[in-house]
Amino acid sequence: MFLTRLTSSPHFYTFLYIAICMLAAFNIFEVLFLLVHKRRVEKAEAKKELLKHRITTAVITVTDPSELLPAPKDSTDHEAYSEAVASIIGSFQGEVAERAIQLIYKLKIDRYYQRLCKNPVWYKRAHAVDILSALKLTRNRDFFPDLFKTETSNDVKYRIIYGLSLLARDQEYIYSLCKLLSGLPYLTAKYTEDVFFNAITALKGAGREAEFKFFLKRIMAAPEILTIVKRDCLSACHAAGCEQMDLIVMEYYWTFQDEPEVMIACIKSLVSMGDLAILPSVLRHKDWRVRLTALKSAHLCGPEVLPALKDSLHDTNYHLRINAALALARFGAEGRAILRGEAASPDKFAADAARYALGSAEAAA
Amino acid sequence: MAKILVVDDDDSITLICRVYLTKAGHTIETAPDGAAGLEKAGIFKPDLILLDINMPKMSGFEVAKRLREDPETKDIPIFIMTSLKQEINIKKGYDLGIEDYITKPANIEHLKLKIDRFLTKRGSC
Repeated sequence: MFLTRLTSSPHFYTFLYIAICMLAAFNIFEVLFLLVHKRRVEKAEAKKELLKHRITTAVITVTDPSELLPAPKDSTDHEAYSEAVASIIGSFQGEVAERAIQLIYKLKIDRYYQRLCKNPVWYKRAHAVDILSALKLTRNRDFFPDLFKTETSNDVKYRIIYGLSLLARDQEYIYSLCKLLSGLPYLTAKYTEDVFFNAITALKGAGREAEFKFFLKRIMAAPEILTIVKRDCLSACHAAGCEQMDLIVMEYYWTFQDEPEVMIACIKSLVSMGDLAILPSVLRHKDWRVRLTALKSAHLCGPEVLPALKDSLHDTNYHLRINAALALARFGAEGRAILRGEAASPDKFAADAARYALGSAEAAA
Repeated sequence: MAKILVVDDDDSITLICRVYLTKAGHTIETAPDGAAGLEKAGIFKPDLILLDINMPKMSGFEVAKRLREDPETKDIPIFIMTSLKQEINIKKGYDLGIEDYITKPANIEHLKLKIDRFLTKRGSC
């Protein structure tokens, strides 16, 4: 009824025509706007790339590159400077890196981003913190803690801690980082591990890896530090290939007997340090996750682990059976002899795991 | 002097390597990503490849793997130069048959010396 009345109106087709024309005009305008915007972004990007190239060339060729380069005027220029310098200092050290850092100070690029850290918009502050972190400026050691006190967004706070971790210098410094972390909700294991990984890398770069050992010792019994954070410190130790920390890691292993995740991190660290002494006893641990970690490196041990590996073939847990079988296959002739015997076992699950591992070993050979 | 292919998506790094290694008397070719690196390795036939890991299109690990699979390029020595410092990545690199794993930030003078010593030993210089 309504539709009939509407379409029989003498102005209906005029209105329809106008509406279609307006829609078409809007679409054309939108496409034009996007094209113009794309062009502007491309132009800015090309300008930035050109400036980055000039900056890198100046840093390589002259002692004081600030004399050759223009002062940055807008945000694109600042980005070009910060990206070029971050790239140089992230990849090279020595004279080139020092010159690049001096350039940042002389052209006051750091001041620009420090001001941006006070911006009311949180993601702009986060971006500024990320850039200052990438530049690894020693001035950040004073600036970031002050910023942390006034910062309201946790997203930015996590970034500040990350930036500080790149500048670690001693155990006291890492401990204060740890305390800052404890004041925030736990983010992820990856983030916390990365923070400590950065700290270890910075200490290694300064030839002070032992400071991390003292730090681990200090927090072992500290109740204010979460156990999961302690676990992440140990995981970072493993990822960073820490050496000469086997004694302290071993101490953690025996102290945290009720914390399987800490024990797992300890086992991984110890194995990467070449310390396999605890593995035979770990193969009989009550927690299956701990046993599984040990099984993954059991082939590196001596023949004393063979009985435990054989028993693990009959475990109720599939992962343990398969990893025990694979460890036996990697063990050599003795391990494979056990597998051949178990392949005919009345325990169907053990026999399956043994046959699978033997098949894998033959395929690899 | 030797022919060196630098595969890195960061212009600043390829530029610095080009300038410093050219000064040391080497001929440098660069590639901005893994796929271009593979292509240039076949054409340029370098004496050494300096390879980054985190790159667009193809990672450095994949490039190393394909270089080792190709009979034409399987003997070209590869130095990985990356900011990935984790043990797991270092092991992965050596498992692929690379000659050296250099973590960034690297000292350019040390890198030059390392390359020169390696190439002299190999008889490419």
